[in-house]
Amino acid sequence: MEETQNIDVTKNPEGEDAIESTKQKQPEEVEHHCDEQQKQSQCEEDELRKLLLSDIGELPLSPPSAIQVNFVSYFITGFTKPGHDQYIYRHANGLCVIGLAPTHIAFKDQGGITNIDFNVGKSDRSVLKVSGKRKKNAMRSESNTALCKVSTANDSYIVRCCVKGSLLEVNERLIKQPQLLNSSADREGYIAIIMPRPADWTKNKESLITLEEYKEKKQDILLEPCLL
Amino acid sequence: MADETKPASGDSAGLSNGLVSHGDHKSRRVYQAARSLHSGAVKDLLSLGVCERCVFRLVSVEAFDSDLSSVSASTLRSWLESGDEEAASSEESSCCIVCLGVLQFVFSDAKQTLLRSECGSDYAARVTDLVKQEGHEFDSFGLEVSVPATILENERAVLLYLKGKYNSESWLQSEKISVKDALKVLVLDPLKVSLGAKSDSSSFQIRLTYSKASDEAQGASETTRERKKRKTDEENGSTSMSENSFEKVYEPCILSVHCNKMPIFFSGRYFKYSRNVSQTRWIIDDERMGEASVEELIGENILPACLGDSYKFHAAGREDIDVRMLGSGRPFLIEVQNSRKCPSQQSLTEIEEKINKSEKKLVGVKDLKFIGSQCWAMMREGEAEKQKQYAAIVWIARPVEEKDIDSISSLKELKILQKTPVRVLHRRSPLERERTIHWMKVEKIKGSSHYFLLHLCTQAGTYIKEFVHGDLGRTTPSMGSILGCRAEIIQLDVTDVKMGDS
Repeated sequence: MEETQNIDVTKNPEGEDAIESTKQKQPEEVEHHCDEQQKQSQCEEDELRKLLLSDIGELPLSPPSAIQVNFVSYFITGFTKPGHDQYIYRHANGLCVIGLAPTHIAFKDQGGITNIDFNVGKSDRSVLKVSGKRKKNAMRSESNTALCKVSTANDSYIVRCCVKGSLLEVNERLIKQPQLLNSSADREGYIAIIMPRPADWTKNKESLITLEEYKEKKQDILLEPCLL
Repeated sequence: MADETKPASGDSAGLSNGLVSHGDHKSRRVYQAARSLHSGAVKDLLSLGVCERCVFRLVSVEAFDSDLSSVSASTLRSWLESGDEEAASSEESSCCIVCLGVLQFVFSDAKQTLLRSECGSDYAARVTDLVKQEGHEFDSFGLEVSVPATILENERAVLLYLKGKYNSESWLQSEKISVKDALKVLVLDPLKVSLGAKSDSSSFQIRLTYSKASDEAQGASETTRERKKRKTDEENGSTSMSENSFEKVYEPCILSVHCNKMPIFFSGRYFKYSRNVSQTRWIIDDERMGEASVEELIGENILPACLGDSYKFHAAGREDIDVRMLGSGRPFLIEVQNSRKCPSQQSLTEIEEKINKSEKKLVGVKDLKFIGSQCWAMMREGEAEKQKQYAAIVWIARPVEEKDIDSISSLKELKILQKTPVRVLHRRSPLERERTIHWMKVEKIKGSSHYFLLHLCTQAGTYIKEFVHGDLGRTTPSMGSILGCRAEIIQLDVTDVKMGDS
């Protein structure tokens, strides 16, 4: 069990200095020169510190990520074409984050993904302006509506919505930084956020598979060292 | 005949109408006013079925007076009539065709019992009983009266009839006080005496609501056909309203008395020690989220002490269900609707102790007190402009190094851009918000190289969790982007909500 009750700050002189120096920079503390008051506020700080660490329990070596905690992961494989594998992370509030699953064939090409273009279908998805709580002007999409086209040295691949709903956002950062798709397709390299209606989601869900099912299905590919 | 004007004993000679030659100054005035009214109009109205006080209202030139309150209807009637006994005495069972019994102090109560009062003070006593049933403590009150709309129509019809007969008379031209206002004039003073309270536009309102017993109690208002005929007649230049247009009224109105106290406010600061308690009641699909709410834990204790109907909880900002509120606590207000009594500071202190000593220790309260109209200013202080302080336990994908501590602590007034976090994007506008992290401080945690305690002071409205894990890159910079590796937040606590000088 990790030592949680005592933050051993005093054993780390530099750490203590770091704390002391930042304390002095806080304007309110500078005004109180009375020893008594300094002792008292130090005491309160210690109390607070104890409280802050009071209920963390065990600190695991590698805690679950924010995505693992807040989203349920779904996958779809071979969507409209073989090798077109995508993930759908669904938040408790119903929103779905769409992106490329690690087994997508685009990643097999030498040099990985080099470019992304949101101008597919009838409009450029990266210029949509959704506004307000009611998400006005969001594009209504079907599951096979095209989101974007990703290109590698050899080829290009269409990425589709996989979920029927309103397109709230596409990750336009990818335009200038397509390498995010290669380095972290499951986080900063997400492609879009879609808001499905509850009824549409219930129907949609039937064509998706869970993380466990995905791992099993793709175990031969996934066990290759360069992925996961 | 309840005759208020006969003295118990005295040296005055009684006259045939019950009037005494000296005696009550007020009733003398009323008597004289009664005698001065246009006798023809008075006779017409009385025979139509208009009550005595309405006759005064409609025919008198002088202002309608509270003195009328202490003279009984039957005495008034005898003064209004010129002494001929032949004038049909009002059938006891009929109500005024204009005011439907309101100004006659006649009404039915909730149990459909017919109640009559001879004078204002008797009526006030009945109303006082009904007020006392509601249980309010008060030393001043405001009086509101509401009467059925048909009374206005009745009055219009009767005035039209009078105009038809006495068009040019001066007394007809003056503004007539409404039935509502007339009732207030008659009963306000007796109510003050009977309730033992002052009258002002205060926070405690007594509302007397008269409603029609049934649709038949129409009174003088016309049928649709008659109204159409009258309108065409008016267009043709002929106006007439005959005595036959008016039907007798037998059913008085139903009176209900409602009391309402304006909301009262209590202020304080709360602490939230549990990571499973939401700030406000949170129910999805009939299921409660979390095991309790700050709102209910505090409100359910204050409400009974006030004997109120309901309460509302207002806080200066909010925190997630899994975030504790520590440090100096968060300012809040409890608003109580229709309180019957105001608890003393002593009781409030006891409530505070009760909450703080509770077995589960989910929530704490301090500085609980009654607060007046400055409460909203106090709330605003804790809102948008102020800085908030937090402590977070952060994990990073590689061991924490000294340079990390330095680089983080050296960042002052760091500007960040936050897109609306995914976790609230379903109910908030998709925007990019610029926020400032004023300062940060890192404390290592013994025995764990990947974790550290992060203290930070930020602008109000900053999403701390997203600043740590980056929210898929939608918050930049983030703890992860600053340290160049993945970062996750394990727990978050609010350690201070600054409120100016308090």
